[in-house]
Amino acid sequence: MIENRSFSSRARVSIIYCIVILLGLVCLLPLWNIVAISFSSSAAVTANKVGLAPVDFTTVAYKKIIEDSQFWRSFMISVVRVILAVILNTVLVVLMAYPLTKSTREFRGRNLYMNLLIFAMLFNGGMIPSFILVKELGLLNSIWALVLPGALPIFNVILVMNFFLGIPKSLEEAAIIDGANPLQVLIKILVPCAKPCIATIVLFSIVGSWNDFFSGLIYIQKPRNYPIMTYIQSLNVDIQELLKSGMSSSSLGNLSELSNKNLNAAKIVVAVIPLLLIYPILQKYLITGIVMGSVKE
Amino acid sequence: MRKKVIVKGLVVTLITSLMTISLVACGSGNKKEETTKESSQVNIEAGQQKGGAYEEEVTITLGRQTLQNAKLPDGDTYEDNAYTRLVKDVYNIKLVDEFEASGDDYGRQVSLALSAGEIPDMMKVATYDELKELYENDMIADLSGVYEDYASDYLKSIYDSYEGRALDKVTFDGKMMALPGTNVDAGPSEVWIRSDWMETLGIQVDQDGNHAITIEELEMVASKFKEANLNQAENVVGMAFAPWLTSGDPDGTYSMNSIAYALGAFPKTWLESDGKVVYGSTAPEMKEALSVISKWFEEGLVDPQLGTRTWDDISALLSNGQTGITFGTWHIPDWLLNNVRVMDPNATFEAYGIENAQGEVSCKHNDAVAGYIVVSKECKNPEAAIKIANLFYDTLVTSNTIEKDYPEVATYIANGVDGSTRPFNIEVNLYTSLLDDYSDVEKFVSGDISIDEVRTTESKNVSSSIQKYLENPTGAEVVDWSKYHSRMKGIELIQTFTENATFNWITPIFPQTTTTMETNQANLDKLEEETFIKIAIGQIDAEEGFNEFVKEWNKLGGKQIIAEIEEQLK
Repeated sequence: MIENRSFSSRARVSIIYCIVILLGLVCLLPLWNIVAISFSSSAAVTANKVGLAPVDFTTVAYKKIIEDSQFWRSFMISVVRVILAVILNTVLVVLMAYPLTKSTREFRGRNLYMNLLIFAMLFNGGMIPSFILVKELGLLNSIWALVLPGALPIFNVILVMNFFLGIPKSLEEAAIIDGANPLQVLIKILVPCAKPCIATIVLFSIVGSWNDFFSGLIYIQKPRNYPIMTYIQSLNVDIQELLKSGMSSSSLGNLSELSNKNLNAAKIVVAVIPLLLIYPILQKYLITGIVMGSVKE
Repeated sequence: MRKKVIVKGLVVTLITSLMTISLVACGSGNKKEETTKESSQVNIEAGQQKGGAYEEEVTITLGRQTLQNAKLPDGDTYEDNAYTRLVKDVYNIKLVDEFEASGDDYGRQVSLALSAGEIPDMMKVATYDELKELYENDMIADLSGVYEDYASDYLKSIYDSYEGRALDKVTFDGKMMALPGTNVDAGPSEVWIRSDWMETLGIQVDQDGNHAITIEELEMVASKFKEANLNQAENVVGMAFAPWLTSGDPDGTYSMNSIAYALGAFPKTWLESDGKVVYGSTAPEMKEALSVISKWFEEGLVDPQLGTRTWDDISALLSNGQTGITFGTWHIPDWLLNNVRVMDPNATFEAYGIENAQGEVSCKHNDAVAGYIVVSKECKNPEAAIKIANLFYDTLVTSNTIEKDYPEVATYIANGVDGSTRPFNIEVNLYTSLLDDYSDVEKFVSGDISIDEVRTTESKNVSSSIQKYLENPTGAEVVDWSKYHSRMKGIELIQTFTENATFNWITPIFPQTTTTMETNQANLDKLEEETFIKIAIGQIDAEEGFNEFVKEWNKLGGKQIIAEIEEQLK
């Protein structure tokens, strides 16, 4: 009986490992292919010869990127955007989450606020009303249009709120008895305890705002000022669609030069590097952050 | 309501004409002061026409469709480049971009501006439906008056060369609501065959020398190429087609259009005779064309991966030398076949048409219009749109002294800076411009005229490129190879067919989007493409499958759409 169980459990574990490894490869291989393409010659890429190893190894694409002023301009715009977004998101989320941990006895409007948040999380005005709002606020074409509309990620509020609820109440009570006001309780007691959770939401907002390209497309009306991901998606050209639009042959020529796949692959690789660097640093918090936040006392 | 519109229209016309008169007055007044300055700086022909430079700087906001790879020199932007500076110099107009975006993203910006109810002074819209929406929402100005007064004779003659097909499209209730971009006929989908391979194998086609080959000849070349496999490639392919098989454009690249047209089938085309509308893809001739492909597929002449082979995959087949036959518009050597030459310096192509049983090559007229420039109702200087058009589609095109007059612009043209950097990203060309430009190149190449006699700067660049290629075909740069092939093969073919009256021209109709089209067209297109691919790869029988498709197509809204189009035509 016991042997049988251990056999079956071992089998189960190995099956699970196989599946996980397979899934891991499914995620890794396309990225690896992009890396291989970025180091291959343009001719080999056009001929569809590149698989997992670079063909005719060359770093010419990376040399070109170093000279590409638009790429670095967009890159820096994204860096600034991420810094602003992280600061704003973290501060606002923590400030919003703390009051919501209080019972309705202590904070009478608590449920109303909570419902409003959840409502706003599930439903939003849609693209056009959001655009008109941003326009009327005069934010169009500024970096704030990329940062402010997503300044308070509600999912993160709930995450942090649940984490706060998981911290023993006695800690907070002890601090109050020692004379701390609510702000001190939050900053000196709860925030240090919630470090893993806060690291998680920081990671979320870094990844989210670095990878988001759509708000750049809508709110930034000059391609020169696109953030990096919007810039990269604009390089992805569908020539067969453009053929229908009566485009001149010289424009098509210019465009087909652009579908220089190894250069674009190199751009993708460079754009992914910041995330690859940040992930290992924050990842150890990521798992504890989500798990611990999900259980409350 | 109707009355209101008319009254409004009248008021607007009145105001515009008043403004025009006052401007004319201004124009003549400031001319004296400005002439000396202008003529010393640049020879401004546009200034001699009615309405030269504004006395006070006029600011115009624009919505502009950009290109990702505009090749602007360092420091120049869409807003500040040789062309916008030219507009400032010539007319004292400052151009400010309200929004810029490329491709589909531009369409989204236009829709957003439309729904926010604020459009820039002037902008490009890509589709007729957008233009109509703008007109119905009373957001754009009537240009009839300013066009009449300000458009140069040459600009007018360009639009007139389309015999009304261009201007009718922008005329609503007798008012001209936009400057249309023109779309010249691009000719047929040409068959591009590796001529270096044909030479090696000693293949002879086109015995009658009319540059059109029969379907049987095409089949013969494909099978010989496949058998010989000159490039010793793995997985040789006779002929490859894109998964959508047919194209609504006559010159559809990687499509089977040329084969279909030769059999009298006009896929994705609305045709009309005696008030009856027919959809080309459902005609019995289409069944025949599909049977040909399906027969070839069975024999292994057509790509065994038909249906899953993407656009990029087909380009790869060509550059790897896995296939030596392809189908496409005259300018594919410039941006698609150039990859073949990069991989194989010996590669050369010959272009052919496919003839029908009568020895004719069928071809279809394009929609005469592509893209529109609209002027906002709020814009205080609607005539500026026409002035800018005069400058870019008349002065700059007709002048062959650009190097001297506008050196900065000449550098732009020579360096291939994209045309989208001009204030209006539309093309306005004479209906015959393709062959007109080519005739200069041809005369130069055959030694009839000197390079200085070539009329436009663009043609001059092309001519010298071709000369370089002819001096040293195997050692020439890829770009010279491309220019030679696209002009001396691609356009030459259209020229030959035109001269010898080989063309059998079809004039389709270009209906507006009907209500059923809005809801059902996407599904109908999907049904069509799926069925055609299934027939081509023999998954369903041509005879039965096609009849079933026609029935289904009519049932799913096709019949309704035809009725709606017939209603439009009345």
